Amino acid sequence: MGDFKPLTFDAVQVGETFVSDEHLVTPDDVETYAFAVDDHHPWFFGASPFGGPVAHPTLLGNQALGMRHSKYIVHAGLHAKMEFHFLQPVQPGTRVRSRGTVIDKYERRGKHFMVTEFVTEDEAGTPLVRGQFTQMLLER
Amino acid sequence: MATVATEVITIGQALPSLVKEISQRKIDAYSGVKPRSIHTDEAWARAKGFRAPLAQAMMSTAYISEMMTQLLGAGFVKGGSMSVAFIKPVYVGDRLTVHGVVKEKRPENGATRVVVDVWCENQHSEKTAAGTASGLVT
Repeated sequence: MGDFKPLTFDAVQVGETFVSDEHLVTPDDVETYAFAVDDHHPWFFGASPFGGPVAHPTLLGNQALGMRHSKYIVHAGLHAKMEFHFLQPVQPGTRVRSRGTVIDKYERRGKHFMVTEFVTEDEAGTPLVRGQFTQMLLER
Repeated sequence: MATVATEVITIGQALPSLVKEISQRKIDAYSGVKPRSIHTDEAWARAKGFRAPLAQAMMSTAYISEMMTQLLGAGFVKGGSMSVAFIKPVYVGDRLTVHGVVKEKRPENGATRVVVDVWCENQHSEKTAAGTASGLVT
């Protein structure tokens, strides 16, 4: 059983780690994402230079952001910065998992921020995407 | 792996812009409908001080990714990078225009990394996101 606490500036600790659940990337994920961002590039649905369909490079960002929900109740946050490095194409049928570490938290102009570094890997442990995101915490 | 030649990309080149209409349905599809979400619960968004539900900031990274993939093809899907700051909220009903201007070309492991200044503007010509994105060409 997890002890889920509200995500607050005081609760989150630099150095603490997150891990997502494993997720199977499906054609449905790709199609839903294509609709959401209105990008229907043919590589997402058929042949690509990588030998078959690939997902949108940014698709896995949601899994990375969602890692915090594995430990905390996240009321709301504003995304301040995002960094991505696309190391390998993500293909439907791949099982992916994201791991992250809080590398900084700070206060600026009375607002609280946390910075999380992440990597998303396939089932063999091959890094697919690396990056980091900075979130402004909107506490109750 | 790349699909474009570096000589056809020039410093200062403006990329074809993209226009994106932000609807609640697309916001809902992006990460699912949840109560007490500033993205999908209008009352909650207003309680948090916003005039309407907000688009996920990550949607703007997807738009930039689309523009970069159109420019660089496979060299963005594998080997691409992006660093973006989100400057202003994007609300349901907004119309975003995504821009890019080639900033730099530099050698990297036998290929060329093309760096692009990227930004998104809303219908009021206000920047909502800005940063750089890059990828590889041969």
